[in-house]
Amino acid sequence: MIESLRKICRDLLQSNEVQVVIGYGQSGPGKPVHPVFVRRPEDIHQLVWNEHCYTNLVAYLKRKEVQSLGKAAIIVKGCDERALVVLEKESQLERKNLHVIGVACEGMGEPRLRKCQTCKVRLPRFANEVVGQMASAVDDSRPRWNELEEFLKQSPAERMAYWVEELGRCLKCYACRQVCPLCYCERCLVDKNRPTCINTSATPKGNFAWHITRAFHLAGRCVGCDECTRACPVGIDLRLLNQSLARAAEEQFNYRAGMDPQAEILLGSYSLQDKESFIG
Amino acid sequence: MSATPAFEPKIVAFVCNWCTYLGADLAGTNRLEYPANVRIIRLPCTGRIDFNLLIKAFEMKADAVLVSGCHPGDCHYTSGNYHARRRWMLFRELLAILGVDLDRIHFTWISAAEGKKWQQVITEITEKTREMGPYAYLSPARTATDEQWREEAVS
Amino acid sequence: MSEVISTTDLRQLVGDWLSQGKRVVGPRQVKPDLILYEPLVNGEQLLLDGFVRPSNSIKEFVFPRHESVYAYLFQGKELDLVDAEVPFREQVLLAARPCDAAALPILDPLFNWDYEDEFYNTRRRTTTVVSLACLAHDDACFCTSVGLGPAETRGSDAILLSTGDDEFVVQPVNEKGRALFSGHTRGSAAEPTFPPGPKKKFKPGHVQTFLREQFESSFWQEQTLRCLGCGACAYTCPTCHCFDIVDEGNATGGIRAKNWDSCQFSMFTLHASGHNPRNVQAQRQRQRLLHKFLVYPEKFGKILCTGCGNCTRNCPVSLGVLSVLEALGTGQSI
Repeated sequence: MIESLRKICRDLLQSNEVQVVIGYGQSGPGKPVHPVFVRRPEDIHQLVWNEHCYTNLVAYLKRKEVQSLGKAAIIVKGCDERALVVLEKESQLERKNLHVIGVACEGMGEPRLRKCQTCKVRLPRFANEVVGQMASAVDDSRPRWNELEEFLKQSPAERMAYWVEELGRCLKCYACRQVCPLCYCERCLVDKNRPTCINTSATPKGNFAWHITRAFHLAGRCVGCDECTRACPVGIDLRLLNQSLARAAEEQFNYRAGMDPQAEILLGSYSLQDKESFIG
Repeated sequence: MSATPAFEPKIVAFVCNWCTYLGADLAGTNRLEYPANVRIIRLPCTGRIDFNLLIKAFEMKADAVLVSGCHPGDCHYTSGNYHARRRWMLFRELLAILGVDLDRIHFTWISAAEGKKWQQVITEITEKTREMGPYAYLSPARTATDEQWREEAVS
Repeated sequence: MSEVISTTDLRQLVGDWLSQGKRVVGPRQVKPDLILYEPLVNGEQLLLDGFVRPSNSIKEFVFPRHESVYAYLFQGKELDLVDAEVPFREQVLLAARPCDAAALPILDPLFNWDYEDEFYNTRRRTTTVVSLACLAHDDACFCTSVGLGPAETRGSDAILLSTGDDEFVVQPVNEKGRALFSGHTRGSAAEPTFPPGPKKKFKPGHVQTFLREQFESSFWQEQTLRCLGCGACAYTCPTCHCFDIVDEGNATGGIRAKNWDSCQFSMFTLHASGHNPRNVQAQRQRQRLLHKFLVYPEKFGKILCTGCGNCTRNCPVSLGVLSVLEALGTGQSI
């Protein structure tokens, strides 16, 4: 499978159809897998594909250092591809300026990452081509909100105590923001001063303000790639926060970010039929 | 020994200029008494209310927050309140999972003619909040051994 | 003949220190795959088994992530400045990795260079560092390449060396370390085990030559394209020390604070004019390597890196400094 992936990419580079292939590389067996940017056909052997291809490479499309390399071919898993759909809907990229190579994915990580255990997008749907096939029928019947429901059994005070401890570890390194393909603002609100909007300090107040802001700015936009959770150096379970909003979007608005390219952006639109129970 | 002053809740109300603010004003001109615990912050439209404003209110020791605007269909800017409504539906979920006390955040539609409703809503919220007591938004952080490093920055 | 302490007695001693009102910081298993240096509430929390390389470093206990330097209050037209009251407290940084401990003497000259930082100095004075020599290392470790090693004592007041038998030889490095354990050890003929550290992966001299001569090389762009510009490396690094001064307050007053900053953030060198001399990630990455391996040694005589590997482990895309340092040796960029 890797050979057909490499061949496609080599041909794209050789014909100058693209100037860079954004994919996964590994400097040796057992070493960490990381993003690579292949520019010359003779370097195509650098591309790998295995169960450790975690990074959502779509995050690189916002980087000017990568944009300046020319037209890109990008390797995406199904979860990554959802981010592409959202970016296109938000007018952040022109699909025709990008060559998308989808890869059939049976899941990442040993043991499988949480997101992979309930994945419904194992085959990218909008790629220029898809490499690989699903070797086995995948069981996707597992309920998606188990963890969330378990968590919500706690009282509000218990939940708050949990988050004070969890978010208390936050260093404000912004790894979560940098790895996120949907965090593409050139000037993030947390970086605004004169006046300061969100405290940059790594204090309970500052950390809550940051994470509330980021989670809510991703409401209806987060595609659940969980890269933020993986990237956090102090193991904060950001997935829970994103899931609570994703479930609300689904249950209240029948909306799932990045699934339907025709769907209106959730918080960019409204309906006269929006029903709530809490407004007096 | 003097008696401890009774707890007076601080209520912060984010209201839209065209409906609720005028409704509150009507309550005033009609001499309808309502508790002075409420601090009114006027914005052009509920659509402009950033969720961060509610968080800031709690950071600054508000005990309850009210968000109020024009009824659906009556927005001065046509659709601001529709956007706001959708935003609030999602924001409440985030607050719920964080364990923020949702009983301290209130949303209403109060029109410019509803001075009486303003009086009722503020009176109710104030009473309810007085009963609930002061709100420690981020309850004292962590354990006794590292208060220095996780110090409560709310001052 | 050496002085030893058993694991049990060490945990008991932690309890004693805590009841004396000291803060005791040590590695703790916070989650199944997360180890952090954290203040301990009891001796049982101290993590001693396995490959213990906490995701953070001990620097935050002498150089906190957020520190108020003074408060300001508006009183009518007057402005009151109130010095910060730092609740300094005796603390023991226990079972620190030698690569964490060695960072402190590297940082000392920086915080006492053109200005004596009383916050840092007071915390240093009230801190006793007890390191624990390493029995294991992983692929990201490279202390031996920067002149350190698994039993390095620089920066420690005492070092514990495992005998492999659930006890440690206690080797004081100075009077402070000796006083801390005095009366709590017993004599023993036991010898500590000394596993070798990681093999050397590059030569600092070679690195410095490259840094001096290859400023304009395309190597920097090629090697660091995958850097996403977060602060995970800088914040978990034992020697990174950049900070930002911020004012946090409102119409009645507030505090002026020092917060950690990272040279990898895109706005790190943004000028008030709008010009940014390092507005491309490759320039920021190059600067990081230059600072650590050329500029800081030229200024203070020490490499600003202890080879702990945290940058590589915590980097979401496994960049860190090691892969760059190895690549500049081989000329390969992967």
